[in-house]
Amino acid sequence: MALKAAEQTARGRRFMMKHVRIWIRLAAMGFANQTASPLSSFGYLVGKLVRLAFFLVFLSAIFKHTDALAGYSLPEAALFFLTFNMVDILAQLFFRGIYGIRGLVREGDFDYFLIQPLNVLYRVAFNTVDFLDVVTIIPVLVTTFWVTRHLPASSHLSNWFWYVVMMLNGMVIAFSIHVAVASLAVLTQELENTIWIYRDLMSLGRFPYDIYDAPMRCVLTFVIPVAVMVSFPAKAFLGRLSAAWMVHSFIVAIASLAASLWFWRFATRRYTSSSS
Amino acid sequence: MRKYWFVFSIYWQEGLQQRASFFMERFRSLVVLISFYYFWTALLAHRASFAGYDRSQMITYILGMNILRGIVFASRTYEIAGEINHGRLSGYLLKPVNFMAYTFFRDMAEKSINSVSALIEVIGLSWVLHVGIRWPHQASTWAYFLIAIVGAMILNFIMSFIMGCWGFWTAESGGPRFLFELFLEFSAGAFFPLDVLSPKLQAILKMFPSPYLVFYPLHVFLEKLSPAQVINGLGCQLFWITSFGIIAYVVWQKGVEAYGAQGS
Repeated sequence: MALKAAEQTARGRRFMMKHVRIWIRLAAMGFANQTASPLSSFGYLVGKLVRLAFFLVFLSAIFKHTDALAGYSLPEAALFFLTFNMVDILAQLFFRGIYGIRGLVREGDFDYFLIQPLNVLYRVAFNTVDFLDVVTIIPVLVTTFWVTRHLPASSHLSNWFWYVVMMLNGMVIAFSIHVAVASLAVLTQELENTIWIYRDLMSLGRFPYDIYDAPMRCVLTFVIPVAVMVSFPAKAFLGRLSAAWMVHSFIVAIASLAASLWFWRFATRRYTSSSS
Repeated sequence: MRKYWFVFSIYWQEGLQQRASFFMERFRSLVVLISFYYFWTALLAHRASFAGYDRSQMITYILGMNILRGIVFASRTYEIAGEINHGRLSGYLLKPVNFMAYTFFRDMAEKSINSVSALIEVIGLSWVLHVGIRWPHQASTWAYFLIAIVGAMILNFIMSFIMGCWGFWTAESGGPRFLFELFLEFSAGAFFPLDVLSPKLQAILKMFPSPYLVFYPLHVFLEKLSPAQVINGLGCQLFWITSFGIIAYVVWQKGVEAYGAQGS
C-alpha cells in the first residue's frame, strides 16, 4: 500500500517536472524570439510601462480634486486598478499562446500539437511566453505592495489570504475564457478577434465596479464576470466582500472551467485538419 | 486629384467590406467610452463640478473624445512600415501617384468610416443614457472647431507618416510605434481632459503637439477658451503641422534614397 502511494507520488512529480521543463523550454524560445527584435521589444515594454504610469498619474491627479471615488480612497482605487493589471498581465503571461491559435489551425500546425505526447491545451496555451509581461509585472507587484502599505486592511493576514485566493479564482475564470476562445477558433477558424473583445471588456474592471449602475454591475457580475475576476480580489482585501459573494465567485470559476473544458473537447473532436 | 478620390472610394469600400474587424474596432472604442462615462458620472454624482467641468461639459468631453478618436486617430499609416519592409512600396513608386497623398486619402477613408460610426454611437448612447450635451452658444465656435479638427487630423497624419517611414531603416518599427501611439493618445487628452492633471504636468504636456489633437479642439467646442486663446491654438497647430511637414518631407526623401526594395 505504502509502495503504491510512493509510486503515485513519484509519478505525479515526474508529470509536474515534465510540464515545468516544457514551459521553461517554451519560455526560453519566446525569450530568444523577443531578443531577436530588441528595438521592437523595447518599444513594447516601455509602452506597457508608460500606460501603467499614465493611469496611476491620472488616478492620483483625480484625488487632488476629490477625497473618494464611489466611496473608495486613492490607495483603495489604486488597488483596484493594480489588481486589474495583475490579473490581465498574468493571463497574458501564461495563456498568450491562445492568441495565435487561429494561425495554428489555419496553417495546419495544430496537427503537430495533436501528435505530441503532451496535453494539447497545455501546449497551445503555453506556446508563447511573453517575457515583456514578466518585466511589466514587477513594477505592478512593487506598486501594489507599496499601495497596500497605505491601507489598514494590510495588517490582517486573512485579507492577504483572501486576496490571493480570489486572484487565483480570477485566473481560473480568465483561463476558462481563453479556453472557450481557443475552442471557438478551432471550430470556426474565424474568431481569434474574440480574445480582443475579452481584453476590452476586462478593461471595464480598471476602476472599482461600484462606479457602475445596477444593471451594468449585474452584467459585470453574472454575464461577463469581469467584476468577479478583477474587482472581487481587491474587495476581499479591503474586507468588503461578503462570504456569499465569495461562494458565488467559486461557483462561477468552477462552472466556467468545466464548461470551457467540455467545449474544448467538443471542438477538438470536430477538428478536421483541413488546412494541413 | 481625381485619382486620389478613387483611392478614397476604394479604401472606403474595403473598410466596409471587412465588417468583422470594423465592428470589433468600434466595439473597443465603445468600451473605452462606457468605462469613462461611468467613471466621470461617479465622480460628479455628488458635486456640481470637477476640475472646472460641470456634468454636461464633462459628458460632452467624453462623448466628443470618442468622435475625435475616430476622426483623428483612425489611421492606416501603420501599414507603411510593412509596405517598405516587404518591398510593396516599389509598386507605389512606379505609379503616377504621390505616396504621401495616396496614404492621406487612404487614411481619410478610414477616418470617415470611423467618425460616422462614432457619431452614431454617441447619439445612441446619449439617447439611451439620457445625457445632456453642452452645445456651443456661438456660431463662430463651430467654424473654429471644424478648423481645429482638420488641423488635428492633418497633424496626426503627418506624425504617423513619419513613424511609418521608420520602415526604411528598420524592420522593428512595431514596438516604437506602439509606444508613440500610447503616449500620443494619453497626452492628447483622448482618455481624460488634461486639466485634471497637475499644472506642472500640464505645462510639460502642452510643450508637445499632442494636446492639439483632442484636448484643444474639445476646449474650443466647450467654449473654454477666449478668442485670443483660440487663435493662438490654431497658430500653434499650424506651427506643428509646418514643422512636422518639413520633417516628413526630409525623412521621406532620405528614406527613398535608402530604400533597397528588398522582397519586391
